[in-house]
This record gives sequence, C-alpha cells and structure tokens, in this order.
Amino acid sequence: MLEVKDLRIYYKSTFGDYKSVDGVTFVYRNGIFGIAGESGCGKSTLVEGILRLTKPPGYIPTGEVLFHGIDLLKIPEEELRKIRWRKIAYVPQGAMNSLNPVIRIEEQMMDVALDHNNSLNKSELKDLISLLLKRVGLPTEVAKMYPHELSGGMKQRVIIAMALILKPELIVADEPTTGLDVVVQKGIIQLLKKLNKEYNTAIIFVSHDMAAHAHLSDRIAIMYAGKIVEIGDTIDIFEKPLHPYTKGLISAIPQIGKKVVKSIPGLAPSPLNWPSGCRFHPRCPYAMTLCRDVDPPLEEIRPGRYVACHLYSEES
Amino acid sequence: MLVKLRGKSLSVKELEKISLILKSYKLKIGLGILLSLIIISFLEPIITRCVLGDMDPLAPGTFEKFLSPSMEHLLGTDHYGRDYFILVLMGLKNSLLVGFLGALLSTLIATLVAFSSGYKGGLFDTIMNSVTNSMLILPTWVILASIVLYVRGIDIFAVSLLVALFIWPGSARSLRAQVLSLKNKPYVDLAIVSGESDIEIIFKELLPNLTPFIMFRFSSLIIGAIFFEVSLRVIGIGASEYISLGLLINWFLTRGAIGAGYYHIVFPPIVLLILIFSSINLINAGLDEIFNPRLKKVTGE
Amino acid sequence: MSNHLLELKNVTKIFKIGGTFSKNSIKALDSISFDMPLDKPLIMGLVGESGSGKTTLARMILGLSEPTSGEIRYKDMNISYWLKKKRLEYYKEVQPIFQDPYSIYNPFYKIDRNLMLVVKKFRLLPDMKQAYEFISKSLEDIGLRPRDVLGRYPHQLSGGERQRIMLARILLVKPKLIVADEPISMIDVSLKAMFLNYLISFKEKYGISCFFITHDLNTASYVADKILVLCHGRLVEKGPTKDLIENPLHPYTKLLMNSILIPNPNVERKKEIDLTSLESFKKIKAGKGCVFSARCPYATDRCKNSSPELLNVGSERMVACFLYFS
Repeated sequence: MLEVKDLRIYYKSTFGDYKSVDGVTFVYRNGIFGIAGESGCGKSTLVEGILRLTKPPGYIPTGEVLFHGIDLLKIPEEELRKIRWRKIAYVPQGAMNSLNPVIRIEEQMMDVALDHNNSLNKSELKDLISLLLKRVGLPTEVAKMYPHELSGGMKQRVIIAMALILKPELIVADEPTTGLDVVVQKGIIQLLKKLNKEYNTAIIFVSHDMAAHAHLSDRIAIMYAGKIVEIGDTIDIFEKPLHPYTKGLISAIPQIGKKVVKSIPGLAPSPLNWPSGCRFHPRCPYAMTLCRDVDPPLEEIRPGRYVACHLYSEES
Repeated sequence: MLVKLRGKSLSVKELEKISLILKSYKLKIGLGILLSLIIISFLEPIITRCVLGDMDPLAPGTFEKFLSPSMEHLLGTDHYGRDYFILVLMGLKNSLLVGFLGALLSTLIATLVAFSSGYKGGLFDTIMNSVTNSMLILPTWVILASIVLYVRGIDIFAVSLLVALFIWPGSARSLRAQVLSLKNKPYVDLAIVSGESDIEIIFKELLPNLTPFIMFRFSSLIIGAIFFEVSLRVIGIGASEYISLGLLINWFLTRGAIGAGYYHIVFPPIVLLILIFSSINLINAGLDEIFNPRLKKVTGE
Repeated sequence: MSNHLLELKNVTKIFKIGGTFSKNSIKALDSISFDMPLDKPLIMGLVGESGSGKTTLARMILGLSEPTSGEIRYKDMNISYWLKKKRLEYYKEVQPIFQDPYSIYNPFYKIDRNLMLVVKKFRLLPDMKQAYEFISKSLEDIGLRPRDVLGRYPHQLSGGERQRIMLARILLVKPKLIVADEPISMIDVSLKAMFLNYLISFKEKYGISCFFITHDLNTASYVADKILVLCHGRLVEKGPTKDLIENPLHPYTKLLMNSILIPNPNVERKKEIDLTSLESFKKIKAGKGCVFSARCPYATDRCKNSSPELLNVGSERMVACFLYFS
C-alpha cells in the first residue's frame, strides 16, 4: 500500500542542514505498522514528510512516497487534498489540544467532514457522528459538549472519531497515547486494534513506547538518528532483537517481575552533526573499527527481516 | 543541540537570537531615530550658546516676530520675536525629559505594586488590586488637570511626578497578571524548597524573567507620559514655567501662527512628536520580534 | 518517641472554585492516612491517575500548600511547626523531584546556580571556595561530565540531562526524604531505568527514603517497597509491593493491573477493559458513595450510598471496598 524510497527531510539553518530524516526506505502492506524510536530520532518528521506536511525551513531533497503507486510528493495540491483525510487521515502529536475550545464537538466533526467532502447532508452526518462516537467508546452526549468538559482520554478518542469520518483507508497516528494515564492508554490501544481488525482500517502507529508496540503493531520499524535500523515482525523483534539499539531499548523497559533494567549509555546525537559511519557506534557495546568509518546499509537478511548493522552483514 | 562556534558552545536558540538582533530593521531604525533626538536635546545648551550667545532665548522682542526661516533663524521666529529653532530644541528636550522621568517613576511604582501584591496575594493583594482598579476607572486626566490648574509654579520635575502618579495603574495591572502567571511555575517551587526567601524570589526568580515585559511597559509609558503632558499643555493648562512641545502647539493654535499660515511654526513640534512616537513603537516592535520568537523550530522535532 | 519519618493523619484538602464568594468546592483529597518508618529507609509508591489528587498531596508534604484538615507530621512534629520555626532544617531533610524537566529551571540562569544555591543555603561547605569541585563531583556520581553540563543554560540541555541534574542536587543535599512527583514520565525510555536505579541506590547507599508518585503501576512495582493506591482523592488500597501486584484486591487496582502494557507480544491478552469504564459522567454526590462506584463492575447500591473505610485485611494489606467486608 505504502512504499517509501530513500526519503530525506532536511531543515535549513544558518549552520547547515539539520538532517532529521536521512534516507528512509520501507514497505507497508497491511496490518498495523509501528514506527518506534526515542525523541529526536526523526519519526514525527518522517510521517509529516510522508503526508507532505513539511513546512519551511524543512524541505525534501530526494525521495519517493508511493501510495498505491502514486508518488504523494509529486502530485499536484488538488489531488493530494483529495487523498488527505479521505484516503489517509493524520492524527498528529498533541492533536487533542488543538480542538477548538469554543465550538461543540459535533460541529467540529461536521466541519471536518464538510471541508473534505461536500456531498454529505447534515442529518446523515449527525447519524454518522453518533455512530463513530459509539465506536470509540464515548457516550453520545459528547457530541453536544465542549472540549474543556472532556478529559484527555476522551478528547483523544474524539480526534480518532474525527479521523474516521470519511472512512479512510489508512490512519497515521503520531504518539496518540503520550501524556495519557495508563488506563486510558490501554483503552486507546485497544480501540486502534479494533479499528484495524474489525473495520479493516490500516494503521501506521508512531510511538516511543515499546510496550505499546508490543500490543498493537504487527510489524515494527526502529528508527535511530534519522534512519531505520531494524524492521521485522513484532514477535521477532521482541524475541530476537538484532540491532544493538533495539536490544538496548527492550532491556530498558521496566517490567513487573524484571529484576534488572538497563539503560543505554551516552546521549542522543544531533541532526546537525550525525556521528560518522554507523550513527550508533559511540554508544554501541559491540562497536568495531569498521563501524566508525562505514555506515551499514539496511539489508534484508531474511524475508521480511531488515537490519542495518555490520554484525549481520558480515555473518550472512 | 549544541554547536561549536569559535570554541564557545552556543545553542541554536542563542545563535538565532543574536542574528535576529543584528537583523532587526525595526529595532535599528527606531533606536537610530530616538538616539538622534536624545543627542540633539543634549546638545541644546551648546547650540543655544552658538546661535544666541548670551541672549536669553525666552526674552520677547529679541528679533522681529514671525520671520520666515533663514540662515540666521533656521525656523524663523515666533509670535514674540524669539528664535524658533532654539525654542523647538528646548521643547524637545523638556518633553523627552518629562517622558523619561515620568516613565521611570511610574514603572517603579507599578513594579513595586505589581510584584508585592501579585506574589504575596491574600488581603494585601485584594486591597492593592482594588486601589489599582479604582484608579483606572477614575477620570484621572480631569483630576490631574484640576491639580495643575490650581497649583502655581510647578516645574518640570513636579509635572513628571504628577504624571507618573496617574499613569502607573494600567502597567501595574498587566504586570501583576504576569507575576501571577510566573508565581506558580515549578522553578519558583524549587526556589522555595531551596531556602530562598520571598524577597529573594521576587528579585532573583521573577524579576529577571519579567525584565523584557517591564521594558515594554517602560517604553510605552514614555509615550504615555509625553502625551499626557501634551494633552494638558495644548489646552493651556499649566503654567508656562518651561517650554514643551505641547506648549509650542498651544502657542501656534492660540497666538496666530496657524491662522496666518506660518507653517514653519506649526510643523516642527508635530513632526517631532510623531518621530518620538514612531521610533519608540518601532523599538517595541523590534524587541517583540526578538523576545517572542515566532520562528518555527528549526529541527522540527 | 515515635518511629515515623512521615505521618499523615486524615489529611483532607478542599478547593473552593469560582472566587471568594462561591459555594462550589472540590474535595481533592479525602482523609488520607499513612506513614513511613524512621528506622528503615523505604520507597513508598503512590499510584493514581491524573486528577486523583497526587500532586496536591506532594505539594502539601513539601510545605507548598496546606491541608484543609488533618495533620502532616514529620519526625513527630507538625509540618507547620517545621515551616514556621525550622524551615531551613526541614528543607535540608525533605526535597522534591518534579515531573517536568523543562520548567523546573529558571530559564534566565545557568543550571550551575541551582546546585550552587543549595550548597550556599544549606551551608554544605564551610566556604564557597571548594564549591565548584563539590558540585562537579556530584555530577560525576550521576554519570554526567561536569564540563558538558556546567556553564550551560537549561534550554541547551536535553530533558534527560536536566532531570539527572536534579538527582545530582539531591546528592548534594542528601535529604532524609525525597518527594518525587512523576519524575520519569517525561524522559526517554532509555533513561527511565537509569533514574529508577539511582533512586534505589540512594536508598541503599545513603538511607534516603522516597515518596514516589506515579500513574504507572509498572514503574511503581519496580522501584517501590510499599504501594498506596489513590482513586479520586481516597486511598483505596495499601500493601507491600510484591503482595499487591500478585494479588490486587480493590477493583480499581485490578483495573490498573489490567491496563499495564507488557512489552511481550506473546502474552495472552488479559480481560480487555471496557472502554466505557474509562470515565463516567454520573456525578458522585460529594461524601456519598464509594469514589469508584460509578466505574466499578461490582458496584452495588450499598457502594453508591456509603463510602467504605480503609480496613486491615491481614499481613499489612489494607483495602477500602465492601467486597471485603463481612
């Protein structure tokens, strides 16, 4: 469905380019695709770029984003607008805070629908809105309420309902659970899973929370320093993580019953000045001399299993 | 995100700020105009001496009245036959003086009131707040006009003080709102548990962060003070103890210059007031650009 | 002499909303009672959702706000006595770690000031000559390089570094009690573990107790020795960590346990939570009924009309639920 080829997103500044996304390639067919990584790795920038929402001083020097074969980066604005929201809906980070505080929920949802598709009539829309609110587990009274009357978890579910209004094929959600309580987080994740399994909505899920990916994503791409360092099925990634960064991420998660939790030493590098060779080498416990000089490419070492690390390219 | 520049590490934010200050046209032009006006007014005594020697610039009848501009009298003479250029310079100097003094005093009062009541809260705050709000509602202009009308012999410093006493409430109110918003920040809590006293918190934690805001209020108050004084003088209230731009305007309105079409008398005070006003606004706008970065984050994280 | 480091007795906090003349109020905390021992350093976890009143509680223990009723006692003396007569001594023994590493620093000053300030105010050194080396050492103990951090402004450092400097600050003061309000919720995953490990080592090496507040039962289970569960301002369950996790009693605790995301995709999904149990619009009449009754799957009429007390059910376990009453 979605194929990204060597996408780069840079930001101009007086001191050179911030190479936030520096050559990302992956293929997404179906199911829930997770993009994982810590803050600063470029995952939010990546999805903004995929949807062509990058604003100056950001620019896209190279890359292709093929949605059903159509390059989203090259088609004219008109066509892109038809695809946005109707085929692909985007739930950005912190979206729940951008609800208009002075307009009732129902009206805001109608506005979104009418903005992107003028062919629906009001009463049909109202019914649809009721249906969607129920689907996300909200009582229908919510439609007549104002955003400030709702809790964080409810607002987030309203946003998801809004995203569903034009029955998109794909929803891209950026950190939809961050800042919410555990119970609510679990609820949102369950909801997204239901949308995928029961209603067949494809989901790209961006989050730094590996535990969330464990529950939700079918396949995960791990990002570090502007590049993808590993891709694989979720079960595979958790049982046999290949890239040292992935291993570090997984062992850093506190878990009930786990006696020791380790963190990754060192600091995240800066997009203005990525380390030479493999970007993880300054923090990697397995680093060799080769790692400092040569940046390992993302290679498919088994069908569907990709990793960018010299440890594996030499073995295979 | 650190960048090494000439050996010293600067963050992106700092570098952007510096380049903004250097690039801001508004700030440069505004400062340029204002500084020129200030320098000229400082030079006024010297210029007076050069042009008039030992003659008293205010003495009537020194020259013929309403002479046109010439090499000897750059702006001609006024209704009393005095060199107008010198009078304008004196007016400029005194207006600026009233502006700065009035602004300084009122900023001081506003800051004291806002910080103590905003931070302390409780009954003290309620009282001070009521006082401030009442003063905003009262017709302060009328009250001040009445005071000035009945008091004889007030000099420029007294006028500045009086003006200051009437224009501080507006600034106090907005400053208090700022103090309230900062009072609950976590770093204030941290200061409390680190053993800082109330006074220390006001001066060391809150004040530095509010300095840009106080500066804005100060420059706005300069305009406020100047125009407050002008508004009194133009109508003729206040003894002519000293010359200000407002007084000059009053003179050309009432002593015949405007009726007779002597525009060399009419324009200078107006133009100068406009210049003062615009330069300060430009400075404010320029500072606003710097202190409220509207630039999107460069890295987009 | 009592043997309590910290003791709370029926602490209640009511906020008036809508101005001085309004009658509306919110009961943020209702009769909170617990204690922490003096002789044994302990990490006490408080688990509660946002809005449960946990930050209000933290601020009261830190002396930043006062209870409406009830008593907070530190080392057997009322906290208001400490704050009035022995303020500086109190803060030498009780220090916070706040949640947001971005707003705990005054943006106007370099971060050195924070560390220097405690050295100066608490007179940790006879004079300030050795201050620089002293604070450098505490930074090194936390795994930060002083030259990478000193002389910097807060916005020049990452969230993780800023939060770690808070740890260095604690090391300088070496209080008896740390009040930590969601200290790791805003830092990266790879640093969370390190932070928790430091808190544990502070307890073991320096005998520093910690009151650890979080919304995540998972985190609490890793770091805390005992856990308190706070629901809408009331304590509903108490107990030693291992016990409470293996055998949660209160329905709310069970809900929290079920909501934990386990980073193991193979684990068979526990009973999925009902989305509508996330929150409810039915207002609970203040004072009437159990705080959890609107969302509880086991709620009966009795639950809606009266509020259960926190009762001992044996082996240091306490729970406030009619299910366990005879």
